[in-house]
Amino acid sequence: MPAADPILVVENIVKRFETQDGVLTAVDDVSFNVVPGEFLSVIGPSGCGKSTLFNVIGGLMGGYDGRVTVGGETIRGPHASIGMIFQEESTFPWRTVIDNVAFPLEIAGMGKAERIERGRHFIDLVGLNGFERRYPAELSGGMRQRVSMARTLASEPKILLMDEPFAALDEQTRLLLGDKVLQIQQDLKQTTLLITHNLTEAVQLSDRILVMTYRPGKLKRLVEIKLPRPRTSEIVSSDDFGRYVAQIWSDLREEATKGLKDDEARRGGEKSS
Amino acid sequence: MAQTGHLTRTSMAAGEPWLSPVTRLRIIILGAVIGTWELVAASGLLLRDVVPSTLTIGRALVELLGHPDLKVTLAGYVLWIPAFYWHLYVTVSEVAIGLVIGGTMGLAVGLLLGANPFLAKAFERFLYYLGPTPKIVFFPVMIMWFGVGPESKIAMGTLSCFFPIVLSAAAGMRQIESVLIRVGRSFRLNTWQMVTKIYLPAMREPIVNGVRLGMGVAMIGTLLAETKLSNKGVGFMIIDAYNTFDMPRMYAVLLTLFVIAIGANTLVGRASRG
Amino acid sequence: MSAGATIRREAVPIVFGVACLLALVALIEVLIRMGWINPFIVPKPTDIVMSFERIIMEENILPRFFLTCGEALMASLMLSVAGISIGVLLHRSRIVRLATETWVAAVASAPLVLMYPLFLVIFGRSAWTIIMIAFVSALPPVILKTLEGLSGTRPVLINVGRSFKLTPSQLYWKILFPSALPTIFVGVRLGMIFALINIVGVEFLINFGGLGQLVNELAERYDLPGTYAAICFVILVSVLFFIGTERIERWLRPGT
Repeated sequence: MPAADPILVVENIVKRFETQDGVLTAVDDVSFNVVPGEFLSVIGPSGCGKSTLFNVIGGLMGGYDGRVTVGGETIRGPHASIGMIFQEESTFPWRTVIDNVAFPLEIAGMGKAERIERGRHFIDLVGLNGFERRYPAELSGGMRQRVSMARTLASEPKILLMDEPFAALDEQTRLLLGDKVLQIQQDLKQTTLLITHNLTEAVQLSDRILVMTYRPGKLKRLVEIKLPRPRTSEIVSSDDFGRYVAQIWSDLREEATKGLKDDEARRGGEKSS
Repeated sequence: MAQTGHLTRTSMAAGEPWLSPVTRLRIIILGAVIGTWELVAASGLLLRDVVPSTLTIGRALVELLGHPDLKVTLAGYVLWIPAFYWHLYVTVSEVAIGLVIGGTMGLAVGLLLGANPFLAKAFERFLYYLGPTPKIVFFPVMIMWFGVGPESKIAMGTLSCFFPIVLSAAAGMRQIESVLIRVGRSFRLNTWQMVTKIYLPAMREPIVNGVRLGMGVAMIGTLLAETKLSNKGVGFMIIDAYNTFDMPRMYAVLLTLFVIAIGANTLVGRASRG
Repeated sequence: MSAGATIRREAVPIVFGVACLLALVALIEVLIRMGWINPFIVPKPTDIVMSFERIIMEENILPRFFLTCGEALMASLMLSVAGISIGVLLHRSRIVRLATETWVAAVASAPLVLMYPLFLVIFGRSAWTIIMIAFVSALPPVILKTLEGLSGTRPVLINVGRSFKLTPSQLYWKILFPSALPTIFVGVRLGMIFALINIVGVEFLINFGGLGQLVNELAERYDLPGTYAAICFVILVSVLFFIGTERIERWLRPGT
């Protein structure tokens, strides 16, 4: 277990929803810590409450039991130290790339010249130099996600919270962007919490992986990924990588199968007699 | 703390009033509108006849819709009915015939343009740019061609509704997923079968929307033509009320017309949702 | 395929279309000259073309054009300001929006322009009757599109704003409103087009104003070629207006 003081503490989160089918427990007593500089992934099948957890930690959802503290402070809505990157397309289509990235600086009241310069720094970080004046519509999906990433990084959050940011991209783009993320994380020593369902992505990027069960979402297992740092996407071809993937998949598969069966049962096929 | 729990439902407390807040607000708004109207009417700020009191309008409505003042002969029987219904019948028939003619032509041409990219590139832009022009200015031409009777009004309706229908039919054809067309071809359907079993069902929504729009503009075109040159129809009733300065009657006809138009539009809208 | 060949291929259908139109006109000319079509019902296309000059010279086409444009501009200004403001106000309160949105949609489907005799009584045979009718009948689409644009803001963009802890005012002006602008422009353009249609139409009906009135006057004088020529003018202005507003809309939406 890492010895440093945790920067993010998630304590006994329970989140329930009222639905037509009764009360649904999305997240059931989940607790974990994240230490500074760490890359932690939360992985689980669809329907395990990962997105709920994302919204809770990000302060966008209330009405839960338990507590989330950032640097000792209990959160009450979106916390200034947490930067969120969403799964969906989230760039502002009416702003150029530079205006998108400089957005948090604009909100903070920074002067125009200064925020353009700071914005350029983060555009450079995600590898989009030369695209400052373009509009998101002129870029590819992967580039747009990089813009969203640069925008969140520009607010220099202590903790980066990402919800399956590469879900809409093809596998090869994912791997390459994963490289980018690794590089950025290494350069900035950025504490990152990634919510994902993608196994290889989680193992590629993380220091630790939390495996969640299918609904109600509980912590099934905590896996330490002892692959060397600095890493690149080439790690996917190593033996150790394969072993980690296999180990986590055996946990995941059980939960994913439960999810599949549950889905079929809910949709109610006809019994063939 | 802000909620995004879309699965959470607020439960109704026992003993909630049976009128929802939305309905209550609507009643309040209506009350305020009628109240303001009455105030303006009573104060004489505007010429008294221009803003008659709601009571006067109500009386005119009752007279319009309930007072039998027209003798008609139907299949040998003599009846007395309020004149409005006869004029309404005239207008509705004119609009209906116009819609049928304009709609059929629009559909046929639209299907052709949708299916044939060459023809579409050649001619569709004419229709696209002619669409948003005021068709009523063609009325003198329609009178020359069809005379002063109902035919020229039907022609106005036809001309008006042709454009929205042809354009939505053409667009509707193009938005049919190509895979469905390939399925039809793989079953070796002939043209008629392709049209009736694949194209038209797949295009139901754009066509219904086009017809809805067409109905609206056919109504406007026909009614405006009636106000210009006619001796029957709802449009005639409106301009007749103007000429005789019978304002309460004009309000009554307008109100009834709007209610009917909105009702017809809503019905067609329901049809598009199946 | 070379660029030149592609351009040629693209131009063929367009040329074909124009050629067909000209052929039709030529056919009509021939049929009239042969006596198959009555020239008192359809004047010879050559007569129509010749009357263009007469119309331009004698019928004050330019002042008429400016009058119609002026009415259209006034009505458009009024409808943009009123329509967007009302749309914004209705959007602010969810319950007001729920109560009134269907009503506005219903009014949009009613033939409001039929109220012109009423406005004639109120404003007399003047430009204001025309402007007010255009304003009233073209208002609902602007309101509806404004509402649609504001309510249709993608939830993820709102979440981005919340994650950056924007104040409600910042959320509105920096996210909701910019996101809604393209749809609002569509509404304003729709409104402007309806306004122009109704303006020319009412000018024709009440025999007052610019281009619409010209058509009516020439028709009443039984100047058939002139009437057709005037109708051509109306179509020309309408088409130019439509294309112009389309270009502006595209220019205002970068990257579309």
